[in-house]
Amino acid sequence: MRLPAQTGERIDRSTELSFRLGPWDVSGYAGDTIGSALFAGGRRVFSRSFKYHRPRGLLCCAGHCPNCLMTVDGVPNVRVCVEPLREGAVVEPQNVLGKLDFDLLRVVDKVGGPFTPVGFYYRTMIRPRRMWPLYEKFLRNVAGLGKLDEHAGHTRRYDVEHKKARVLVVGGGRAGRAAALEAASQGPGVVLVDESDRLLRSELAGVEVLAPARALGIWEGNLVPVDCGTVLYRFRAERVVVATGTIEQPLVFPGNDLVGTMFPRAVRRLIRDFSLQPGQRAVVLATDERGLEAADDLGEAGVAVERVVDLRESPLRRIEAQARAGRVRGVLLDDDVVECDLLVASGGRQPAYSLLAQAGGLVEFDPDLGVLVPTEHPPGVEAVGSVTGEGLEKVDPLPSYHGRGKCFVCVCEDVTTKDVKRAITEGFDSIELAKRYTTVTMGPCQGKLCQLPSVRLYAQERRVYETDIGSTTARPPWAPVELGLLAGRHLEPTRRTSLHFRHEETGARMMWAGPWRRPYAYSDYPEQEVRAVHESLGVIDVSTLGKLLVEGPEAAALLERLYPNRFGDMKPGRIRYGVLTTDGGRIMDDGTVARLSDDLYYVTTTSTGSDAVTAWFEWWNAVWGYDADIVNVTGALAALNLAGPRAREALERLTEDDVSAEALKYLDAREVEVVGVPCLTLRIGFVGELGYELHFPSPAGEHVWDRLVAEGAVPFGLEPQRVLRLEKGHVIVGQDTDSESNLLSAGMSWLPKLDKDDFVGKSAVELFAEREERELLVGFRMEENVVPPEGAQVVIEGYPAGRVTSARRSDEVGAIIGLAWVPSDRAEDGTRFEIRVERQLRGARVTHGAFFDPAGERMRS
Amino acid sequence: MSFYLPCPYCGPRPVDEYAYFGEVTHRPGPSPSMRELTDYVYFRDNVAGVQREWWQHRLGCGEWFLADRDTRTNEVLDVLLPSPERVREERLGSPPVGAEPMASEVT
Amino acid sequence: MSLSFLSPSRCAPGTLASPLTRTLDTVSDTAPWSEAGLRAEGVRHRLRDLSSDGKVEVRGDLDLVEPADGEELIRLSPRRGLLLVDDDPAEAADRLRTYGVRAYDATGALAGLAFEGEQLARRLTDLDLERLPAAGAFARIGAILVRDEGDRFRAYFPQELGHYVAEVVLDAIDGLDNR
Ligand code: FES
Ligand SMILES: [Zn+2]
Repeated sequence: MRLPAQTGERIDRSTELSFRLGPWDVSGYAGDTIGSALFAGGRRVFSRSFKYHRPRGLLCCAGHCPNCLMTVDGVPNVRVCVEPLREGAVVEPQNVLGKLDFDLLRVVDKVGGPFTPVGFYYRTMIRPRRMWPLYEKFLRNVAGLGKLDEHAGHTRRYDVEHKKARVLVVGGGRAGRAAALEAASQGPGVVLVDESDRLLRSELAGVEVLAPARALGIWEGNLVPVDCGTVLYRFRAERVVVATGTIEQPLVFPGNDLVGTMFPRAVRRLIRDFSLQPGQRAVVLATDERGLEAADDLGEAGVAVERVVDLRESPLRRIEAQARAGRVRGVLLDDDVVECDLLVASGGRQPAYSLLAQAGGLVEFDPDLGVLVPTEHPPGVEAVGSVTGEGLEKVDPLPSYHGRGKCFVCVCEDVTTKDVKRAITEGFDSIELAKRYTTVTMGPCQGKLCQLPSVRLYAQERRVYETDIGSTTARPPWAPVELGLLAGRHLEPTRRTSLHFRHEETGARMMWAGPWRRPYAYSDYPEQEVRAVHESLGVIDVSTLGKLLVEGPEAAALLERLYPNRFGDMKPGRIRYGVLTTDGGRIMDDGTVARLSDDLYYVTTTSTGSDAVTAWFEWWNAVWGYDADIVNVTGALAALNLAGPRAREALERLTEDDVSAEALKYLDAREVEVVGVPCLTLRIGFVGELGYELHFPSPAGEHVWDRLVAEGAVPFGLEPQRVLRLEKGHVIVGQDTDSESNLLSAGMSWLPKLDKDDFVGKSAVELFAEREERELLVGFRMEENVVPPEGAQVVIEGYPAGRVTSARRSDEVGAIIGLAWVPSDRAEDGTRFEIRVERQLRGARVTHGAFFDPAGERMRS
Repeated sequence: MSFYLPCPYCGPRPVDEYAYFGEVTHRPGPSPSMRELTDYVYFRDNVAGVQREWWQHRLGCGEWFLADRDTRTNEVLDVLLPSPERVREERLGSPPVGAEPMASEVT
Repeated sequence: MSLSFLSPSRCAPGTLASPLTRTLDTVSDTAPWSEAGLRAEGVRHRLRDLSSDGKVEVRGDLDLVEPADGEELIRLSPRRGLLLVDDDPAEAADRLRTYGVRAYDATGALAGLAFEGEQLARRLTDLDLERLPAAGAFARIGAILVRDEGDRFRAYFPQELGHYVAEVVLDAIDGLDNR
């Protein structure tokens, strides 16, 4: 039922919009909110409360309270009183078992029982312990707000956009508009953000208006994310002006949550914006001018105003709303009962300071105004208008009025005055503690409606001044925001080699290797790929290896000091294995170092280590100041490892250069042109067979790969590579070592050259050498045909004493082999120990040296 | 965290472009005791106040530099390049391994 | 030993492929979020793949560098820059070395993408678009961003992230097209 058309109404009666509420078809006008349309259709109960499942109706009509939360088009917790009505919207009530008007869980309010007292779940639901899963299931159902549509994220698209502003004004009230115009008169770059869509943009020449939109918070560097629905603007503003105005506060009396209680401004909005009659017979309890204005509004709208009490002039001791089926049917004022179906009441207006407080500003209780006001602003942030307390009159209602029935301090979390009093007697005597115990200020309104009432109540109960109570810490976001908006788009930075698509086409199963995608294997039988490498020829994409050029007259000196072993004495064209350690002596990364010329080195790192090693080299060089440059060429170069007994013969067919055993010896580095592509060719043998690593420009990746494969090289993936390297007993840093491993314990005591003046980790190695290592990394061979998982426990005499880091079945060795950390007194070759595999102990024996080709004849061949 | 940190070359940039490597440490001379070494490797002052720390403009120019930052307010009072003289005078030691840019949760 | 193994221009003709070609070609079936991947077809015309353009990473005193005609020097720090070249980048690197700096052909290392639209740029970076060129966060990775006349931009980024960046850019375009 609408009032006759009036000037200024927001609705357009010529355009009707239809939508759904649960199973019902409903309609409204363009310009309606979903809430006003539902109200016009006669709906008064909009939600069920959090804990007691009491019926709740429109209270603030301003998007501040929890009373009108519904699920709209799959998005939960939408405040329908401010959500513009759209044709075809699908609206569902929340927090309800059954129907809104008859909620099965309403019984909670009636019986009370274990649910009533504050902190009930901390105490009541704990015993018996084994029942907790059941309790939890029930609690999840009765508590909480809304249901998440698990698929919603895929149907809505959210974007993030970066923006800059000279002046960002939050709030489009009179003060905000004035501040924006003033700033705009000094130049461009002024943005105004407002929650409602009612701003007249034409009045704001030179100002960029974002509405309806919400500023979620003010972070360091004046970062202000603004929620525009499906776009999040990340504003960086030179100045932020907060003009968020005030928020009407509830008056605390029994029954103050009943359907039919409303704030004065809610009344005005329903009448003036939507031409609705908020009730038939009204009582108005005013603590400020707005209350009296509401009484006038009601009169004009033809509502019978039964009683207006100005609490400033005629204070009451006792106010008690009386209910029928959860709705107001009258109110007891001292000793008088006045019948009504609308009870307009407020406890005054509270500056909406949350944004300022969250940003680090100070908020204090102002005894002259009777409310909390912001007193100090963070740098770069200003406040104007009533949010500063400007223009407010003193309000001084009782912290709570007597009467029978539940008297709510916090409607979001269903916290009553009784709960707060109880918390105080139980010793939660500071407001921050009470917040955590009672959850007051922790609900959907985030203190907008309960901070001030709880401060007032605390002061009364503890018999102290409000100024001594303080306030709870405000945290962003200031308004609820959809998680999808914060998450933004869901693409993850992923590194792919220039052969990525070739691998996919070849049928590779791709896996993550640090930030990279790499082939696990090209079929379900990685052992066949292993066999190809041993018997004939394989090729693996190792473009992910970190690759650095270190160049300069002092490059040798830099590397000498970075690595424990020696590189200054290397001849150009030779390669050496290198392990990097930290000053704590821990193994950090490993790889090869090739000297290309006197002052040019080519360094490889592990696939996951390239960024860290580059940063590490650059940092030490910044510190030592050597004349050397470090250039990360990881992505510039593709790298292929061609390995197997046929490797040389294949390479010879693909190049005119001399790659004979004499010209390109084991650990030689040469430039070789292969199939028309200049390749830095490193003869090394990570997989234990004759092998060549070809490093060449990434864009030629597919070309070289295709020619090698055409030559008979079988592509092999990471899994076969892991088997191959394990057969050689080669350690993978980060897999077989961890942040505690050092060169001595990992069996590389031959590596550090302690006669060097200095190297990173030298002091540690010296100190470690003086003590005995507790555990050592050793190879082992299983006695049984069982593959222990990585991390399996090494058991000695019944006690856990170590762990397996790698284990694989090797057809070549004919056994299950692996690497494990064992106590140093159990590291002798042939020592037996046990490994726990699925609750069973399985025997294993320490094996020193490589499992396969221990003399290394094949890779040197 | 969203404060601006001034790179000595690029000027103020959002902090998520940088990699943070913690407060400066002081590398002991040759042959330290185990105590001296572990102090250097593992112990930090972790002050509530101004501390000198290592940063790298990882997503920008790539430069390493020192910043004096108030850990309570994130106010950066000064940024300086690690000249060899400064390093020698202050016996600056290694940063922790493998710190990544805070990036890019948000960018 | 020379550094020619860094230079795509030293490879025989017909051996090279851009890291972005495959991405831009496959985008229609790798973009399940777009209502009709076909839209990518139209989108692709608004992007230009710059990956094969010559690029040289310069280390040392940049003041010593004299860019030739058709070359563009982007200073990242006083000791570090990127020279964009029209001619053979390997030769340009050799020439730069005669000035007394170190130079490395970065053509294969960096992929490049030209795109149009300030709003698109703002969806991808919070760099100050009035102060380009600059290196900074772009599509959540480190990149070098250059602005040409009007609303035209160029981004250079590690080629191994090329596929990812192309996906992000196409996705952002999709977002703007479907407002
Ligand atoms: S009535 Fe909608 S938020 Fe209060
Ligand atoms: Zn920088």
